[in-house]
Amino acid sequence: MPHQFQERHALEELVSMNAAAAADHLAVVARQAIVVVLAAEGQEASVAALLTADEEISVRFSAPGEWLVVTGLQTPELLQQSLAALLRETAHCVDQSHGRVLLRLSGANSRAILAKGIGIDLHPSAFVIGSSANVLCGHISINLALVDKNSFEIVVMRSFAESLLHDLCEMGRAFDLSVFFAP
Amino acid sequence: MASLIPCPHCGVRPKEEFAIRGDASLVRPDPESSDETWNDYVHIRANPRGRYREHWQHVAGCRRWLVVERDTFTHEVFSVTDGSVRAWEIGR
Ligand SMILES: [Zn+2]
Repeated sequence: MPHQFQERHALEELVSMNAAAAADHLAVVARQAIVVVLAAEGQEASVAALLTADEEISVRFSAPGEWLVVTGLQTPELLQQSLAALLRETAHCVDQSHGRVLLRLSGANSRAILAKGIGIDLHPSAFVIGSSANVLCGHISINLALVDKNSFEIVVMRSFAESLLHDLCEMGRAFDLSVFFAP
Repeated sequence: MASLIPCPHCGVRPKEEFAIRGDASLVRPDPESSDETWNDYVHIRANPRGRYREHWQHVAGCRRWLVVERDTFTHEVFSVTDGSVRAWEIGR
């Protein structure tokens, strides 16, 4: 008998759909495509050049020769296929869209909220727009990126998402952080 | 313990992001070596007061194995190198 798989967001029953965001807001992004790209030995520079030239995707550094490619413009299947066609045998591309959760933290106090759990310098002169890094947030390893002036994107492993959400809510309590699914 | 480690890939990070494996100067003995040699390799450590070279893994960051050279007394970090670079330098 064939199994029927149903797509279900990791934070589905924990976060509401309400659209009224406070000054500091954590948006849970319902749909995104995330692919892990691992460059073959010696191909790191050429893979990096090809990825950064593509304006439809956002490239997040995770390790030497390894990136997270994130986009809201394509389906996971399309992103995986276009990356495989672009990079061919110079890299391995693994679809992680359902294995990771994307959160977007924005607001004037976003740095103060993150500073409660993260040990890197988030000053705008040190962590500039477009920067990304794998960092520890409390006890959970995340990928953090600055996508806009006061707007961070966090990519976390699916099974840690609930625990991270709990931590972020605690970190944001003093600032009345609101949490909703992104419309 | 040294509390800030400059990872060559990620920049300066708190020690909580790392896992420490220990002495990086050990060389695995020949499989046919005596029990004493294997016992020394597996269990006996110098635990020096001062300069020490260890394997650290940046588990919460780039996940690379690094060779950290630090002072166990003053907490000074002298150098941090990627494990693959180090292995190549010493011809292993
Ligand atoms: Zn690192």
